[in-house]
Amino acid sequence: MPGSEISREIYWNVTAFSVVLMYLLAGATIAVFTYGFYRRYRLWRLGKPANRLDHVMQRVAAFIAYGPGHGRTARDLYPGLMHLLIFSGFVTLFIGTLMIMVQADFDVQFLHGQFYLFYSLFLDVFGFLAIVGVLMALFQRYVVKPEYLYAMYYDGIVLGLLLANLVTGFGVEGLRMAATELRQGVAWAAWSPVGYVVAQPLVALDPGALQALHTGFWWLHLLLALAFIAYMPYSKMLHSFTSPLNTFLRSFEPKGQLSTPDLETAETFGAGRIRDFTWKDLFDGDACTECGRCTAVCPARSTGKLLDPKLIVLDLRNYITRHERGLLAGRDVAAGDPALPALVGEAIPEQMLWDCTTCRACMQACPVLIEHVPKIVNMRRYLVLEESRFPREVQGVFNNLENRFNPWQLPHQQRAAWAEGLDIPTMAETKGQVEYLLWVGCFGAFDDRNKRVTRALAKILKEAGVSFAILGSEEKCTGDPARRIGNEYLYQMLAQENVETLNGYGVRKIVTQCPHCFNTIRNEYPDFGGRYEVIHHTQLLAELIAQGRIKPTKPVDEHITFHDPCYLGRYNDEYDAPRYILKSIPGLRLSEMAASREKSFCCGAGGGRMFMEEKQGARVNQTRVGMAQATGADVIAAACPFCTVMLEDGITGKGLSEQMRLRDCVELLAESLGEAQAGGSGAG
Amino acid sequence: MNVYVCVKQVPDPNAPGKMDPATNRLVREGVELVMDPWDEYGVEAGLQLVEQHGGVLTVISMGPERAKEAMRKALAMGAERGVLVSDPALAGSDALATARALAEAIKRESPDIVICGTESSDGSTGLMPGMLAELLGWPQLTFAKKLAVGDGKATIHRQTEVGFQIVEAPLPVVVTVTGGINEPRYPSLKGIMTAKRKEIVELSVGALGLSADQVGAAGAKEQVLDLAKPEERQSGTIASDEGDGGVKIADFLQQRRFI
Repeated sequence: MPGSEISREIYWNVTAFSVVLMYLLAGATIAVFTYGFYRRYRLWRLGKPANRLDHVMQRVAAFIAYGPGHGRTARDLYPGLMHLLIFSGFVTLFIGTLMIMVQADFDVQFLHGQFYLFYSLFLDVFGFLAIVGVLMALFQRYVVKPEYLYAMYYDGIVLGLLLANLVTGFGVEGLRMAATELRQGVAWAAWSPVGYVVAQPLVALDPGALQALHTGFWWLHLLLALAFIAYMPYSKMLHSFTSPLNTFLRSFEPKGQLSTPDLETAETFGAGRIRDFTWKDLFDGDACTECGRCTAVCPARSTGKLLDPKLIVLDLRNYITRHERGLLAGRDVAAGDPALPALVGEAIPEQMLWDCTTCRACMQACPVLIEHVPKIVNMRRYLVLEESRFPREVQGVFNNLENRFNPWQLPHQQRAAWAEGLDIPTMAETKGQVEYLLWVGCFGAFDDRNKRVTRALAKILKEAGVSFAILGSEEKCTGDPARRIGNEYLYQMLAQENVETLNGYGVRKIVTQCPHCFNTIRNEYPDFGGRYEVIHHTQLLAELIAQGRIKPTKPVDEHITFHDPCYLGRYNDEYDAPRYILKSIPGLRLSEMAASREKSFCCGAGGGRMFMEEKQGARVNQTRVGMAQATGADVIAAACPFCTVMLEDGITGKGLSEQMRLRDCVELLAESLGEAQAGGSGAG
Repeated sequence: MNVYVCVKQVPDPNAPGKMDPATNRLVREGVELVMDPWDEYGVEAGLQLVEQHGGVLTVISMGPERAKEAMRKALAMGAERGVLVSDPALAGSDALATARALAEAIKRESPDIVICGTESSDGSTGLMPGMLAELLGWPQLTFAKKLAVGDGKATIHRQTEVGFQIVEAPLPVVVTVTGGINEPRYPSLKGIMTAKRKEIVELSVGALGLSADQVGAAGAKEQVLDLAKPEERQSGTIASDEGDGGVKIADFLQQRRFI
């Protein structure tokens, strides 16, 4: 190789024998790597089928956006940057290494001249940034130690290997440069800036020592690199492949839609054994990077409950790992195999499942699109439908939903009692000849506090000349609480009956008072042949304001903060309509909570939690009220009857009844329209 | 151990009931019919006995064909089989005629214990279990809030106004249970699905060796003479606290022997 040409001697100080040995070792490494992958693949295949190969172009787009694009990873600055540095460093170094292989072993000469200079600069800079990234990770994990990032032994191994690879790599470079480029005084040495700096103190050593040291470091670096690659499929570094793949395999169903099993033909109900999950559920476990973002945002976890969404995913993964042989041999928990502990109840404590409010904060936070909530509901289904095990206070709710079509012991004939004196027609009276069906929901129809909201809403709609009717006593609970508690059987009965009623009247447009009803009718009733245009009342009201059909003119002198309902916001992406209403009311001052919009913190009522006792930790509703209080607002504005009940309770529970009040957006709007009396503006 | 539990299909007690002024009886047509919620306690008590001692739990009922729907609830909870006494001749039966029909059906089996609710939520006579025990010639244990079986006898905690008595009787025995005895289980979907396939034996009056004039309206000795609204409940006492609130409440509870 001519000395004047800008380049470097590849395999300097490396014997041909070493290169051959290197390739043999690399071959063995690839075999170990492939075998590790294969073992995981066998385990994924234990799951039930699920089609995640439709919408291919959208999948590719998701893969690019969430994988190398860091779409969600970068949403949190520190870990996002940390990951980007390590990720881009290793990708660059890996490509750089492949380029060396192409030049040295396939004899394609291109690493010379200016290209070589930039090549070398690039690799050095990105390698250095990767070191910064790894140090950031070590600092976060072992110095800052956030509660959600509990470190496992293998986190140390992985980070240690990453750092050792980078450091020895620069060691090899520095030793080579000290012995060659620096000694020869070539001008371009500084284009490898890190190697250049490392080489400075080494120049003083004698050439023989440098050569010997270089040989040692070269081997050390090689073995560490191969060890790291071989270890990948056996450790959380598997995520380098599974996480981006997981974003490719994302769901394209509506976020608020749970699966609808055919209960007549099903042999098992819900998920109580590994085989009851889909392969994608099992794959999720391997896609998890254990970053803990789900843990950090979970309202159950952050109020001291047992539930940790990350552990749900990891427990499932660890279960298939630990019982790999038994599971592959076709053993099953259901067969009472003593070698296999119960998945639900032993590996995953039941209380964890009951703690969940299905608020979807975990799924919204997950950088790799893991689906926590469907797994939790599926395991609840198993507990309710197969084992009949659930918090005892829920049994009454089931019985009431079954017999009275509302969660309480209230006669369903009284469902339209709230409308007394308002002259609101029923669908039966109008024969369906109206534009909208106003779906009131159980809370809006029976709960005294929320009846005031319903009345205010109905009055506004009437004033605005909206053509609407109600179902009256023909309306039944949508089944949302039953479904999310796991009683799919009860849910399906209610859904079928409601769809039959709705289709009987030829209903096309539905406006709902409750985000839970909104979500279920909109996203889940299509499975039962119920296809309607469903909007939430805040959406309709915002539209009426925009069209000038109602004009909020009377100032409402309040300092408010808006609490996003999970099933309106995170599940259905509606954050703006309620804010549009609030901003159109003169006099209102709106302060946002840090946890607002997609980061909203659940009131604690979703997933049937409304009807369960909260025995552990701090109260979710009071915690949320505390966040509202921190904004300095006097009024929490709500747009969901569940939230209204929970947060009003939270205000009382925290002893803030004198300072704070809760008002639905509708009530605030009614006051501004000069209907304070009608809506009932008091909090108590 | 062979456990039998009597169940009855009644109009949903939580729906506002209607009376037929012509017959002075509850309207049973065109209303939501359910297994009497009081019977759930009996079924649960029976299931617990079978779980402890082994054996078979049979539910037994008298009523028209549709009463099977109510029995399915008990089968879904875990009962193994059903026996339904069903015959057009049974229409209009009073408590005694019902007891007679059920007693004949039970005699054809070999029960160790028959469990009933204390009373039905529609008729509320509370007479049937006593008559049943008499017709079977067995002892009866009533108002059980706790039930245990062993050594050929049944022992109960019998609820009284001020506490409970411990009473025992040799098997076979008729036991009536109160709402406090247990928390009835919620049937699993597996239970509901398998209940559809469980056997319900139907018996006619003839098959029981009874004649038509012993049962039904013809054999009924009870007559409903008149209907009247129950007296309106007295409103409660409001004790205002003038520094002696605690004493007032304690006195109130003591008068009623709660403490």
